[in-house]
Amino acid sequence: MNPGIDLQGTFIQTLRDLGLPAGAAKAIWMPLPMFLIIIGATVGVLVVVWLERKISAAVQQRIGPEFAGPLGVLQPVADGLKLVFKEDIVPAKSDPWLFTLGPILVVIPVFLSYLVVPFGQNLVITNLSVGIFLWIALSSIAPIGLLMSGYASNNKYSLLGGLRAAAQSISYEVPMALSVLAVVLMSNSLSTIDIVQQQSHYGILSWNVWRQPLGFLIFWIAALAECERLPFDLPEAEEELVAGYQTEYAGMKFGLFYIGSYVNLVLSSLLVAVLYLGGWETPVPIEFVGGLLGLNETSPWLQVIDAALGITMTVLKAYFLVFLAILLRWTLPRVRIDQLLNLGWKFLLPVSLVNLLLTAALKLAFPFAFGG
Amino acid sequence: MIKFLKQVGDYAKEAVQSARYIGQGLSVTFDHMRRRPVTVQYPYEKLIPSERFRGRIHFEFDKCISCEVCVRVCPINLPVVDWEFDKATKKKKLNHYSIDFGVCIFCGNCVEYCPTNCLSMTEEYELSTYDRHMLNYDSVALGRLPYKVMDDPMVTPLRELGYLPKGITEPHDLPAGSRRAGARPEEILEK
Repeated sequence: MNPGIDLQGTFIQTLRDLGLPAGAAKAIWMPLPMFLIIIGATVGVLVVVWLERKISAAVQQRIGPEFAGPLGVLQPVADGLKLVFKEDIVPAKSDPWLFTLGPILVVIPVFLSYLVVPFGQNLVITNLSVGIFLWIALSSIAPIGLLMSGYASNNKYSLLGGLRAAAQSISYEVPMALSVLAVVLMSNSLSTIDIVQQQSHYGILSWNVWRQPLGFLIFWIAALAECERLPFDLPEAEEELVAGYQTEYAGMKFGLFYIGSYVNLVLSSLLVAVLYLGGWETPVPIEFVGGLLGLNETSPWLQVIDAALGITMTVLKAYFLVFLAILLRWTLPRVRIDQLLNLGWKFLLPVSLVNLLLTAALKLAFPFAFGG
Repeated sequence: MIKFLKQVGDYAKEAVQSARYIGQGLSVTFDHMRRRPVTVQYPYEKLIPSERFRGRIHFEFDKCISCEVCVRVCPINLPVVDWEFDKATKKKKLNHYSIDFGVCIFCGNCVEYCPTNCLSMTEEYELSTYDRHMLNYDSVALGRLPYKVMDDPMVTPLRELGYLPKGITEPHDLPAGSRRAGARPEEILEK
């Protein structure tokens, strides 16, 4: 495995050569990838909003946004600007502090989770040894924000919506964590980098989907439920309820919920790509292609291409999953709350437990194929 | 034990079956994506109203004999016929005639029963106003003819579903001179 390009090391070395102390050089470096990721996530949301509207339109034989910019690509920007300029309403007799804190608590953990999403060998903000666990922990904060905003609105429908959203998030967290655990069992590490590297040896054949088909399905279903995407979007249920816990929200506070839900969708897709679809790895391993063409894999231009290809592959896989989620939205009917909880506790939980036990057994039986 | 295993097997079978149904549904939605949108982009494209379209009512003042049949057949006695008896000619002389389209249900009874055919339906349907009283059309307003969709240079006229060639459900980009399905009324008359 070649080390890939080390942007951080090169950047810090350049600053130190200019005469800065090592600590200052590192402090200058640190905000750069963070800003880059936040900007990337925001742009990703704009793209997803546009895609959602265009694909929804295509599925229903409509045209969708087309006047704001070419093919309507500026429509999400226009929507966002509208939300920014709307009046910020806090209902009378609501709890203004909790009301404001709710959307913030929903959005911040989602953005924080991008800390552990790898786009390449060294293209990750931090390579935490508890990476994927950090994401699971952060995603459990969101239901508190939902409950908070539902309760603070001083509106019985908001409260019910908040309770439902929290119940949904909590009950789908368990099967999700169990299916992640099965992957972790195979790669012997919680770090997202190690999880991808474990899948990198034989190209598309070594991706975790083939070894964890059940886990992949469970994780994807649970991810859709966590994001409140359509088969499981009953807390807000566009066509049936007013908006669930978002009923009293307007302007930028509503905008935060909106951004949060889409960032969460992109994040879940990215993590499915990382956990099951080989992250930044190409279907045919790039070392293999390089070896076939007789190229030295440490040559700088090949490494730049490798890094660019890695980012493209990660994003491509994630957006394929986003497309699947949008298509599922217009295919599946909404489940009832009892069906939702039944599916979570009576189907996904036992199946994911079986999956975990099966993985452990297979790991003992065939250590070469299941990460001994 | 065997009973339990059978239950598990049945449950798994049901889960696989429902997964297959989801797959079928996905293929349907995926197939829809390559179909052309049927959207009529309203202010720029308009459907051509059919020949029996019941739009705003047209009224010819000079033909009217003030018989008030239209008022009698109207479900809510809507037309207002203001006439006086002209002693010199011994005939009714019509002063004013008006219909309030904010109340009219466009049933067409008045048009059907008018003995002198001075009432007729037009293809006008864009009747929005800022004040409902502006919908109370007097005899002058009733005598105006609507602007045809076909003549408007700003508008692309599109044919309705019943006027498209056989097997085509999409009015955009029709070849010139394409006929509707079936015989035209005049051809039926010739038979």
